[in-house]
Amino acid sequence: MITRKALPRRTFLRGAGAAVAIPFLDSMVPAMASAASTPEKPIRMAFVYVPNGIDMRNWNPAYEGPLQQLPRILKPLEPFKQDFNLLGNLTHNAGRALLDGAGDHGRCCASYLTGIQPRKTMVDIKAGVSFDQVVANQVGAKTRFKSLEIGMEDSRQAGDCDSGYSCAYTNNLAWRSDTQPLPPILNPRALFERLFGADAGLTPEARKRRNVYRRSILDLVSADARNLASGLGPTDQHKLDEYLSSIREIELQIERTENDNTQVTPGMEKPYGIPADFAEHFKLMTNMITVAFQADLTRVVTFLVTHEGTSRAYREIGIPDGHHPLTHHRNQEALMEKVAQINTYHVVQFAGWIEKLKASKEGDSNLLDNSMIVYGAGLSDGNRHLHEDLPTLVAGRAGSYFKTGRRIVYRRETPMCNLFLTMMDRMGVHTEDFGDSTGPLEGLDLA
Amino acid sequence: MWLLLIFVISITASLAADNNGFQNTVRPVIVKNCVACHNPSLTSGGVNLVPFTNGGTVVSERAAWEKILRKIESGEMPPKGVPRPDPAAVDALVHFLNAEFDKADRSLAPDPGRVTARRLNRTEYSNTIRDLLGIEFHADEDFPSDDLGEGFDNIADVLSISPLLMEKYVAAAERIAARAIGNVPLPKPVTASYDPKDHNLRRVDVDTIEAVHRIDFDGDYDVLIGLPGARSADSPPVRLAFWMDGKLLHQVTTETKPSNLVYFSPFSEEHFRLSLPEGEHTFRAGFLDDTFIKTLPEKDYYRSAKNKYPGTITITGPFASTAERTGRKQILVCDPQSGNDCVARIISTLARRAYRRPPTKAEVDALVRLSTTAKQQGEGVEEGIQLALEAMLVSPNFLFRIERDPSPTDVARVHRVDDFELATRLSYFLWSSMPDEELLRTAESGILHDPGTLDAQIKRMLADPRSAALAENFAGQWLEIRNLDSIKPDPDRFVRWGPELKTAMKTETLMFFSYVLQQNRPLSDFLDARYTFVNERLAKFYGIPGVTGPEFRRIELATDQRGGILTQASVLTVSSYPTRTSPTIRGKYLLNNILGTPPPPPPPDVPALDASKVGSEVSLRKQLEEHRNNAVCASCHSKMDVLGFGLENYNGIGKWRTVDGKFPIDSSGTLPGGKSFATPAELKQILAAQMPEFARCVTEKMMVYALGRGLQPYDGSTIRGIDERLQKDNYPFRNLIYEIVHSLPFQSRRGELVTSKPSAAAKETAKR
Repeated sequence: MITRKALPRRTFLRGAGAAVAIPFLDSMVPAMASAASTPEKPIRMAFVYVPNGIDMRNWNPAYEGPLQQLPRILKPLEPFKQDFNLLGNLTHNAGRALLDGAGDHGRCCASYLTGIQPRKTMVDIKAGVSFDQVVANQVGAKTRFKSLEIGMEDSRQAGDCDSGYSCAYTNNLAWRSDTQPLPPILNPRALFERLFGADAGLTPEARKRRNVYRRSILDLVSADARNLASGLGPTDQHKLDEYLSSIREIELQIERTENDNTQVTPGMEKPYGIPADFAEHFKLMTNMITVAFQADLTRVVTFLVTHEGTSRAYREIGIPDGHHPLTHHRNQEALMEKVAQINTYHVVQFAGWIEKLKASKEGDSNLLDNSMIVYGAGLSDGNRHLHEDLPTLVAGRAGSYFKTGRRIVYRRETPMCNLFLTMMDRMGVHTEDFGDSTGPLEGLDLA
Repeated sequence: MWLLLIFVISITASLAADNNGFQNTVRPVIVKNCVACHNPSLTSGGVNLVPFTNGGTVVSERAAWEKILRKIESGEMPPKGVPRPDPAAVDALVHFLNAEFDKADRSLAPDPGRVTARRLNRTEYSNTIRDLLGIEFHADEDFPSDDLGEGFDNIADVLSISPLLMEKYVAAAERIAARAIGNVPLPKPVTASYDPKDHNLRRVDVDTIEAVHRIDFDGDYDVLIGLPGARSADSPPVRLAFWMDGKLLHQVTTETKPSNLVYFSPFSEEHFRLSLPEGEHTFRAGFLDDTFIKTLPEKDYYRSAKNKYPGTITITGPFASTAERTGRKQILVCDPQSGNDCVARIISTLARRAYRRPPTKAEVDALVRLSTTAKQQGEGVEEGIQLALEAMLVSPNFLFRIERDPSPTDVARVHRVDDFELATRLSYFLWSSMPDEELLRTAESGILHDPGTLDAQIKRMLADPRSAALAENFAGQWLEIRNLDSIKPDPDRFVRWGPELKTAMKTETLMFFSYVLQQNRPLSDFLDARYTFVNERLAKFYGIPGVTGPEFRRIELATDQRGGILTQASVLTVSSYPTRTSPTIRGKYLLNNILGTPPPPPPPDVPALDASKVGSEVSLRKQLEEHRNNAVCASCHSKMDVLGFGLENYNGIGKWRTVDGKFPIDSSGTLPGGKSFATPAELKQILAAQMPEFARCVTEKMMVYALGRGLQPYDGSTIRGIDERLQKDNYPFRNLIYEIVHSLPFQSRRGELVTSKPSAAAKETAKR
């Protein structure tokens, strides 16, 4: 019989003024957990994905072991050198053509977290469940949102995306099922409303009433869907299955909010529209994710910065050319220089987020320490569309578990999925294999 | 007897001719001109044609043969430098194969295919809410993007539902239902100010300012326009106008001469109260027909002693609206306080429109039961109706366009869709929205499928302003001009680029498309026309004199610099890089969207051009020619680049030019088939002569859009049939709409094959 009552962590947030700082107090450790001897400190994981490969000459250092002089693109992370590992030789074989011909951009994005070679089609898309969703399915029940998918670039509105691959493959990172990608939220206002509620003004009674209504409505429409599905062909039924499983997801969310009626104070004003400025947009999105991590609203985030094949120009740093055309630089110095500048610019933004995470105290450590934030790309050399030695940086210690500050080079062709296996393990999801994994990555832990 | 005998002989003769014909017309060409490269050991371009020396493959490898035929017919293959078959041999081969395909098609049982249940996309959702409840809702602001398939965003198989989208559906339904019933409590009014000093207001020109502002609640708002400065004492008043999203909302006459009041700096203001809908809007304030400004030197524009100009926009609200809510009135068809019968009536009336068919009794009962939940929670009967409406908006009956089959898994069972399903197909095709009352009634009376009735409905619907959706959504995606909103030409290289020019470009193409449609002009107008649509800004950009004012009008073109979509700035801009033109991209655009023969994707490690050198060290043409020295590249680029070079007289945003940097523009070229051109106008003539290809391309694209699925080999006969009939009348565009609506796949469906994965066939078409 466990009688000691745990103090909900988010209690502290109620009425907290502007900025949210959540001290990790012992009294907040659930009684259950302490009885079971391992106090649960939540570990978070996030993926920050940048497209079109990276100028590897300026990413890979020439050494192994402790991080010393950082290559040019990673320079902005100098202050946090002790907080990340730089992994070499991780490979996604599923991103390669393997008889499917051109379309490396579509393939590398769709296979990045799924470990599956996507079906080459413009219509009936198929990849696999992404590993972040495998994690979210297990740890997500503990948080308000199983996972969050965010991005910064609107999807193409017309035309084809990559050589016979549907735009669904380049517009999404996370896949809930093999046919159901999870579209990212791009608009800071939409993310704000999702995290902190569009209805923050509701009284507890009104909120309760709304949940009653929502449940009744969801009951009714689920019955509708079941009635419909009985007389349909398999593909149509599949669509309604998707519908029903999404309904169940909402029901679970309602359940969670009923158990925990706390309101999180975001510590910022509700943003309006999408900032034209890249850095501002990036900062807004990651600031909200930081609050979401702090308040334990979610533990799993994927961030598709821009799309594979994007022709976004970076006038912010004086580059009027499109990103993707630049990466096909034919080894011309002037073009490679611009690619390196874009790559660096992205890392500057990322470093800003790392700084913020590190500055967020949590117990006697900080948010970054209790996270695994992966920064990476689905191609190494964007000019040649290479799928080996993918640029991969893992920031944070996963709760004093990773030994950081090192450059670790694995055997060539080591599956990227091995990293996923290790990360799943740290997230408390124990599985034998994922994608083409051959075993967990060695050498990351303190041991 | 004789007749019969002749008949028998001719049948045997034709059967024999099949193989003989192949042996005589096709095999020699393949053996002599193709297999030298396309054999098992060389497999140039990944193609081995040795198996295709067997006549049986014409039927068994149909898709591959269609591809081979197109390559030979267009002269793309054999490539330059390889011996070509003589033209008569090519003609014989083309004729033979086409006849064989036709014969095969005629012997096939017609197959209408099958469309998966389609979720409404964001545009369709917004339009449907508008037509169902009279409420403006911007799904594109709130819902995640819809994925594209086959270049369109209404393809059933890729439109999935994620939990995030479901969350948005639930929240949107709550909000929309509350807005429709008029049950949204208004907060205290707040003020938002837009001022150039705060960098949140854009000066469009000296007479016009613009701000983007989100209205959070339907309601009345006080709008205040600050007008700094004063003009000379004898200057006349001007009309001050106020627009929302391009729609004129209000006009007022305002004085511009100095007031008699003594101000530190002259200033006046105008204010008015308007009813504004929820959503993010672009507001504009500006002077109309301002003659004074034309006489004022530019340096005096913002000198308050010399000029009065629109300076700031301030919006305060919301206030309770005095405007009558049409939505609410439409919903409450009787007084809900009068009892349950009325509540049931209100709900079933709504459900009929929301579900686009009469609801079943069980459905209405369930919704009425749901509405009583409100009472149990201590709320009123209107809240109950609101709840039922919410449920309808989340129901799969609303969110999906579902069609029923008598036997969903019997592939052979072809059947017509019912009249309600047909009405829905028709309205989402022509309007991207729900059927209106007349269409629903026609469906209810069971006569919609009657050809005469159907034609009358098509005619009526095309005449309705809602048919603008075809231009916005079909043309916007077919011609890729939706991408104008996301591409960002380099303002340093293209100083005239800006939001107004962009909007003007888009408007030209949309109006042009609508005109060709509404006037039933021949399809060839798209490729070359002696007219277009411009306003002053676009006319100046094109160098066309004599057009003044912001409104668009049809003009006759005096030169052959412009004419048809290929020379419209919108198309030329979306087919360029942000910094320069790309003949390759433009060539690919033509192959994809005009000729319907998309090139295969490039292999990896394909070098791009050195942008810094283009126009400076070597000409773009020279650079691309070097690139084509590589035989692998040449097989596709010899066609793509040549087509693209024909448009080199238009720069990266479609402005006419005769030099690029220091190099004179050379827009001449010779296509693989041997046809040459010296100017864009001549290129267009060559393309216009390829009408059958263009017509087929447009038919296919529109078919995909109308059906919401990728095309399959069995659709080939439908498309050929349509094109043959169109050709007889010189391809009138409007007829194409009628043809598609009357076609087998639009009117019918069949059961689904259960065992095979739904992918195999689709994969085939995707690879085409």
